[in-house]
Amino acid sequence: MLFNSLSFVVFLILVLGLYYSKLFNWTNKKRMLLLASYVFYGLWNPPLVLLLWISTIVDYTAGNKLAKETHKSKRKFWLTLSLIVNLGFLGFFKYGNFLLENFVALLNSIGIDFQAQPMDIILPMGISFYTFQTMSYTIDMYKGKMKPARTFLDFALYVTFFPQLVAGPIVRATDLITQFYEEKKATVEQFIWGLFLLTIGLFQKVVLADTLLSETSDTVFSSNELLHGVDAWVGTIAFSGQIFFDFAGYSTCAIGIALMLGIILPDNFRYPYASIGFSDLWRRWHITLSTWLRDYLYIPLGGNRHGITKMYAALMITMLLGGLWHGAAWTFMVWGGLHGSYLILERIQKRYIPFKVNAYNGIFLALLTFSCVNITWVFFRARSFEKAWNMITSMFYMQADGTKILGTFEILKVTSLIAIMFLCHWLMRNSSLKALAKNTPSWVLGIAWALMFFLIVISQGSGEQFIYFQF
Amino acid sequence: MKLKQSLFIGIILSLFGLVSWESYWRSQGLMPNLDDNKNLWANQRTQLDKDHSNMVVFIGSSRILYDIQLDVWQDLTQTKPIMLATQGASPIPVFRDLVNNTDFSGTLVVGITPPLFFSTTFPEASPIKRSQTLVDHYHNRTYTQIINHKLSVPLQTNLAFIRDGDESWDSDVDLKTLLSHIHIGNRGPKQGPPFYNFEEIDLNRHMKMPEYVTNDTTYANTIKKVWTSILTNGDRPPPDKESTTAAFLELAEKFKARGGNLILLRCPSSGLFLEVETKGFPRDSFWDELVEKTGVKGYHYADYPQFQNLFLPEWSHLATEDARFFTRELIQIMEKDNALIP
Repeated sequence: MLFNSLSFVVFLILVLGLYYSKLFNWTNKKRMLLLASYVFYGLWNPPLVLLLWISTIVDYTAGNKLAKETHKSKRKFWLTLSLIVNLGFLGFFKYGNFLLENFVALLNSIGIDFQAQPMDIILPMGISFYTFQTMSYTIDMYKGKMKPARTFLDFALYVTFFPQLVAGPIVRATDLITQFYEEKKATVEQFIWGLFLLTIGLFQKVVLADTLLSETSDTVFSSNELLHGVDAWVGTIAFSGQIFFDFAGYSTCAIGIALMLGIILPDNFRYPYASIGFSDLWRRWHITLSTWLRDYLYIPLGGNRHGITKMYAALMITMLLGGLWHGAAWTFMVWGGLHGSYLILERIQKRYIPFKVNAYNGIFLALLTFSCVNITWVFFRARSFEKAWNMITSMFYMQADGTKILGTFEILKVTSLIAIMFLCHWLMRNSSLKALAKNTPSWVLGIAWALMFFLIVISQGSGEQFIYFQF
Repeated sequence: MKLKQSLFIGIILSLFGLVSWESYWRSQGLMPNLDDNKNLWANQRTQLDKDHSNMVVFIGSSRILYDIQLDVWQDLTQTKPIMLATQGASPIPVFRDLVNNTDFSGTLVVGITPPLFFSTTFPEASPIKRSQTLVDHYHNRTYTQIINHKLSVPLQTNLAFIRDGDESWDSDVDLKTLLSHIHIGNRGPKQGPPFYNFEEIDLNRHMKMPEYVTNDTTYANTIKKVWTSILTNGDRPPPDKESTTAAFLELAEKFKARGGNLILLRCPSSGLFLEVETKGFPRDSFWDELVEKTGVKGYHYADYPQFQNLFLPEWSHLATEDARFFTRELIQIMEKDNALIP
């Protein structure tokens, strides 16, 4: 089920009605939320709920065993079992076709004529999110960082909680399971703020991403022609805006919906396009994934504990795998590789040519970072290296007579929106939406709220899927 | 932060904005209207998975969709008509789905619009892709999509600004479509003339030509302008008679082999459409050859005197009254010919 759909409106009203009715005690409310979460997921493809159940049962059992078991090898066994099940699901459903294609290509390249039957595997929505979430539980249990979930219901709800099930934020068990132990009820202020966040999230998704930016990006990236530089840049910045509003929109909706239930989810974005440098970017973009990768991949790989060369290697491996997490294609690996390279270059710069960031050079550095981010988005969005390379050549004006496929109004629309987005990120980079709302007169907030709602309704989003659902 | 106050102001202003928006569009002559879309098509396709012993299925392009009036058909033949024609598309993907994925073996009427039927079998070409998209949607749609459609119907039928069309010709008034009509200068692809909506469809895909097209020549002329720009566009690829005929014959043989009653129908056209079709798709080498190779009954409107002076406001589809007459007469012709007995 999509947040931007009529069925979700009805679903949410029903869930909130039952949640705040006096029909149920807290345990039954949690059961209702769990059931609602399965319905939320199952209405897309019912049999795939089985994967959620398997993941839940295996990780709950592994967690309980890890809590009691003191024998080292047995502890390793339970952790390994959890990792094999979760990574096995990911490997089969997400990377099965990719591995097969590359295996066939490898055999063909060494002269073995082999053709495989395509496996035609369906990618379960949100599998990368919930598998990472449950793995964090068993890894933390293995490390003795937390206590096991008190009940199976609490754990199952942690894995399946519908607001963040299919596209995050990827919440750590310590942050979410414990919230299920005591009865939760949003205050009136929390409920209204949650509703406001839901409106902002939908506005980002339906109006900004789908209505104002997606078509430009789709037109440019689906074109087979060599494009004029302006068109290539506009298509790329349109995608950078689209993916931000799409994904941040989802996260904002998720945080808002959870808050309406009295549950607090962590921030996932903090004005990332005003980042100064790539370390800053990854502290602001998809925060729950970058911290996951830091804690469960980069640090176990050695982090910065074993010298500079190993640190760079750990950084690069983390970013390459982070790229692959987004999709089973080499273009995503290049995207990750570019981010890894940027991070390494930034560390070299800080070591050998350090300088102070101040109010004057900050915005230029942010703009430089944003431009470099845009180059990485080309590889993220292009479906082939050929297309990505064509885009890069056009963007750097190596393509003299490129085709002009965008109209003047479209160019103006995208460039103005992206300029406004960049400036907003810059002005808000050390602040928060809540702080801004606190300092805004209530009538101004009311007008902004009405305007966003009005634009959402007249945009009539026809249930466009969120981009990150495919990851 | 006084959030209650903000919420109250937000609700009042939102209501005011939406009522104004609805009033504005009604003042512009827009009335609540269902759009022909993939969900309506899929609902009809679902019927074939039930008991289809007393059903007649129609596939083809928009002509058969407009020209066969389903209520007339049901009243006169006492059979349930299932309309699976797809606008601006070839019937081949739908025929393939029907043959391969159903056990339907009743009467199937295939509307032949030569420029679309004989266009291509290339999967990425719009006449094929458009039909295939509908077929794929039917097979892949989720429960959520089914519920969303059911929930959207009361909104579409009561609010003028709520539209749910899949195609550019649906004249939607959503923000994205409205913005797409704004152009500055000549940069980018050449813009064609505006394509205004001319459909009035119900949940069973019973399509009628709206009265505002039949009665308003100026409106009808805007659609003729669009046809002219398409028909006189020199970039159109030549027809691919061989591959389209071969693909159709293969499916026709399978369908006939399981006892299906296949009928071909050439609906009327006039003006520039007829001119282009006569020149580009001569009857003897396209229609006659197809009917002969298929070995089934075929009905060409030009063979019947009563179909010579029908009113097609925009050259390609019958006005509603004429469509009702066409349906009535066609049933009589087919019944006389024993064509409707499987």
